[in-house]
Amino acid sequence: MYPPPPTLPRAALNACAAASALPAPKSSRGPMIRACLPPPAPAILALRALLLLALVLGASLAGNQARAGESPDLRAAIAALAKGSFAETEKRIAALTALGDARAVPALEALAGGDLYRRKADGAVFIVSGASGGYRLTDPLTLQDAGTAGRREVKKIRVNNRLRRAIRAALGALTLSASDPARRLAAAEAILKARDKEAVETLDRALARETVAEVAAALQAARAAAVLASDRSAEEKSAAINVLAARGDREAMAIVASIAATEDQALAGQATAALARMERSQALWDVARNIWYGLSLGSVLLLAAIGLAITFGVMGVINMAHGEMVMLGAYTAFMVQGLFGALVPGQIDYALVVALPAAFLVTGLVGIAIERGVIRFLHARPLETLLATWGVSLILQQGVRTLFGPTNREVGTPSFMSGAFELGQLTITYNRLWILVFSLALFAALIAAMKKTRFGLTIRAVTQNRRMAASMGIRTPLVDALTFGLGSGIAGIAGVALSQIDNVSPNLGQSYIIDSFMVVVFGGVGNLWGTLLGAMSLGIANKFLEPFAGAVLAKILVLVFLILFIQKRPRGLFALKGRAVEA
Amino acid sequence: MPPHVPPAMPDEPGQPDPHRHDTLLYLDGVSVAFDGFQALNNLSMVVGRTEMRAVIGPNGAGKTTMMDVITGKTRPDSGTLRFGETIDLTRHDEADIASFGIGRKFQKPTVFESHTVEDNLALALKGRRGPFAALFHVASDDERQRIDDLLSLIRLAHLRAAPAGGLSHGQKQWLEIGMLLAQDPQLLLIDEPAAGMTDAETAATAELLRDIARTHSVVVVEHDMAFVRALDVKVTVLHEGSVLAEGSLDHVSANRKVIDVYLGR
Amino acid sequence: MTRRFFTHGMTRGGWVFLALLAAAGLLIPLLNLALPESHPLHMPTYAVTLSGKYLTYALLALALDLVWGYCGILSLGHAAFFALGGYAMGMYLMRQIGPRGVYGDPLLPDFMVFLDWQELPWYWLGFDLFPVALAMALVVPGVLAFVFGWFAFRARVGGVYLSIITQAMTYALLLAFFRNDMGFGGNNGLTDFKEILGFDLQSDATRAGLFAASALALGLAFVLCVAITSSRLGKVLIAVRDAESRTRFLGYRVEHYKLFVWTVSAMLAGLAGALYVPQVGIINPGEFAPANSIEAVIWVAIGGRGTLVGPILGAGLVNFAKSWFTAALPELWLFALGALFIAVTLFLPRGLVGSLPRLWAKATGTRSKAPPDARAKAPAAAE
Repeated sequence: MYPPPPTLPRAALNACAAASALPAPKSSRGPMIRACLPPPAPAILALRALLLLALVLGASLAGNQARAGESPDLRAAIAALAKGSFAETEKRIAALTALGDARAVPALEALAGGDLYRRKADGAVFIVSGASGGYRLTDPLTLQDAGTAGRREVKKIRVNNRLRRAIRAALGALTLSASDPARRLAAAEAILKARDKEAVETLDRALARETVAEVAAALQAARAAAVLASDRSAEEKSAAINVLAARGDREAMAIVASIAATEDQALAGQATAALARMERSQALWDVARNIWYGLSLGSVLLLAAIGLAITFGVMGVINMAHGEMVMLGAYTAFMVQGLFGALVPGQIDYALVVALPAAFLVTGLVGIAIERGVIRFLHARPLETLLATWGVSLILQQGVRTLFGPTNREVGTPSFMSGAFELGQLTITYNRLWILVFSLALFAALIAAMKKTRFGLTIRAVTQNRRMAASMGIRTPLVDALTFGLGSGIAGIAGVALSQIDNVSPNLGQSYIIDSFMVVVFGGVGNLWGTLLGAMSLGIANKFLEPFAGAVLAKILVLVFLILFIQKRPRGLFALKGRAVEA
Repeated sequence: MPPHVPPAMPDEPGQPDPHRHDTLLYLDGVSVAFDGFQALNNLSMVVGRTEMRAVIGPNGAGKTTMMDVITGKTRPDSGTLRFGETIDLTRHDEADIASFGIGRKFQKPTVFESHTVEDNLALALKGRRGPFAALFHVASDDERQRIDDLLSLIRLAHLRAAPAGGLSHGQKQWLEIGMLLAQDPQLLLIDEPAAGMTDAETAATAELLRDIARTHSVVVVEHDMAFVRALDVKVTVLHEGSVLAEGSLDHVSANRKVIDVYLGR
Repeated sequence: MTRRFFTHGMTRGGWVFLALLAAAGLLIPLLNLALPESHPLHMPTYAVTLSGKYLTYALLALALDLVWGYCGILSLGHAAFFALGGYAMGMYLMRQIGPRGVYGDPLLPDFMVFLDWQELPWYWLGFDLFPVALAMALVVPGVLAFVFGWFAFRARVGGVYLSIITQAMTYALLLAFFRNDMGFGGNNGLTDFKEILGFDLQSDATRAGLFAASALALGLAFVLCVAITSSRLGKVLIAVRDAESRTRFLGYRVEHYKLFVWTVSAMLAGLAGALYVPQVGIINPGEFAPANSIEAVIWVAIGGRGTLVGPILGAGLVNFAKSWFTAALPELWLFALGALFIAVTLFLPRGLVGSLPRLWAKATGTRSKAPPDARAKAPAAAE
């Protein structure tokens, strides 16, 4: 193929949706600017297949554990799948399902995948996998090895698409009786998606014994979908439309939309009205989703910028090595985790908690060293400070590259940060939620430190009137060093948090530096609250632009907006106005 | 705020009147606030043609802000600001206002330190100010003559080729005044010209300013009372952004309010 | 103007530089083409191309110095103008490939065929003509700089704020040029060039010619910069750099001056990019990377901002060091570059050309001609 498929380089990769709708692999997530394309259809299909597989495997395990003894009916029902026409097979699948035994799941799964074979010699049925010179046979019930067979000794049980659909529904129905509510829920969702008209009775039975409200609701929806696909009475269908309308998600909308297009006038009218209601609520959910993603992205920006709000915002040092402080913090998390793995295995969840103060110390000390070694000599020469700190950033990057290698390092995710939960139609992943909470907590702590502590008072005194502060006995060089250390340390802490959502590599900091400066300048230099508001509003703006413009263009638009904004209000959103600033 | 302070000098216009032909600078009710701090509060003042005016007042009285407003560096929140008969200064920026004929000397002497003394004056000389005019500019004999005159006036002829950054503080003050004169303005705003000068230099500066005032209007902001007395002109006392008193130095010195807030007992 | 230029515009150092440049522009192609490869003085073609590349970098540094050294505007986005000029030239070179591309389409470049585009986008029209492409290499960066500067300078965005938004500008362009929809080849950029003005780009003679053209362009740009900086306009620029509000109160419209020099500088950078692309054979969005712009700043800083020879020298030295390091000690290059940034800002704020005469004077015990109290004030206290 020419040219090779367009691959985005790092910088552009970063230009992308921070919060991905799917719990995508870690490497595909990142800060503000990440070229997250909308999840393509194949990905959704693959996901569904995975879901089904997980559900099936889960059921089969449950089946294994539950097995008390051989059920001759079950074995016979499975063996029966091998005989007759497609139509007869379909009936036999229904009969097998009617037994309600989850142990039939592996056989059905194999059937759907074309791995179920009949042994010509005795008519016995096996799950088959390829082996050299023939096939390896597995008993479909016990899942024990049953020897091998030559290519001519067994015959594949053929299925068509219609059968595959039936099998999928059957698998769903079988797992409806699983003991784990989560598995039952997944099964109900699978049936809803399959819209299997034969599933009504199965679902009724499942509903009758269902005790968990959430699962019951999913079953109701699945039943409604099944009813609408069947040829049941108009009243039942009308009720079903109401059930789906109440559910209101995209899947339900798709089903109701298909009814709206049917010929039955009354039903179609009802469906159209329901659809309109659902679309309105969906639009609201879309807004909520954008806000959530925006806040999530905003929290990443806040983390990236919060240290800079001290070093650049409060002190006025153009610190181009700020991104490297974040990067060092992330590497500290990596190191601490490694130590934890060696010293106290099994307690990896606490590694991140210990990494926070460690990162603060490490980057804080590096920051103090930079201030003492370079920045203090360049006082009141901001453009030269910019160049010198850029030099520092190059050295730090290359230093980390030399020590740890150029490749990405893995920082494990603690258990409390993995997983997700549903809030209405929002899927909220725990790591994103934690990062949002953490960024706000860090911000609150910083505000408290600046406003309530003596050190904060001293910092403000020195930055507002250095000479006066000095004449009052404040050791301004010490305060400078400590303030820079504080800003750097905060950046390091942010790095620990960002290690959870971004690649830990020597280039980590580079991808944040421009965004960080933009956030601080946009919010208003010297104003911490401005940084908070700037980060959040830029995050949300980015996410609202993305559906129209795409991720990269949205990022570009935000940058152009910022460039224009800075020209309109060079001092940012919350400018300190007055003579002191002009001087 | 109290209304306009009654005039004390016989030749002073009674009420601000922008249409009087001898009025050059007219401020009426000018207010400026920075973040709640009222730098100028309903300030009114009139400066006539070829009048020299001394402005005094404690720190924070609004002296520098007044100059910022007149020269277009700061926009007033409210009030009227007129130059000559027709020009509304609030509508123009620094470059425009400079080209109308208002020159300004900063409190801290500000010259182009890496240029020579001569180049400093050459850049200030009245002339076309556009970039293309500057690109193709060739010095004329007139200009050279004018620079020579100015150099001898400000007593820097012997340093014409020296970088201005190397001048003493007093020399920089004089160079800046020379640059102002090179602009040939109608009105000169001069912020603390005597700061950092020896007594002899101060006296010479006062003499120079009186000389200049024969043909120009001059507003001098100064703390040095001896210098103000040497100027021997009408004095305006600013306090908290508005006029506290106006009149001869003796007149304002006797004013109780002025004594309270500024001169001290 | 001409008379003034020859009387005191051009310094002795300037004449020496022009003479050296002219000698190099003639001699290096000659050593490459006229001498057999076995000859000890033979200049290998790769070295000619490398030197040509340095010359375009030097031109970029000169452009940057014009705004930073003389007017105090620190641009962290000059690579954007350089890359835009490069893209304009790259588009011409792409059109010259004609039907010799992989897909053999007579009109559409390969990447467009690959993207299944049916016709040439309107902004590619005319780029088959060399004069149009060369003009665009100047006009596009110039217009971008003019528009950007029009807003920025009128709003009086200055100092570090301007530096930050120039960086945002080049970053936004970087992202934009990565997009395939832009029609500039996306991630891969423009490459696989065949010929320029009918000459085979791979041949020694063409490469020597490109080197000579780069030398000529650098020489002309140098003369232009001398003319600008020695004129009254140049004095106003320095005045703006040293005391911006003083300049305003003298009646100069500072934003017009900044806009003028900013636009001229962007066009020079565009020219440098246009000469760079045929010599390296590729232009891709990586050229917009903010790091490139910042690296160019260090060339100027080390050579000596506010002098015209300095940035050229700085660009040559740093890039020569880079070539040497990346071949011999690749691990150490970023350490060296980082240390260079720090060392120059701390110990050599005036750069080599700005500091050497002073150091020389100190070493030999002679006093410099400037009065003793004209202290070591960095000429570009650019704040």
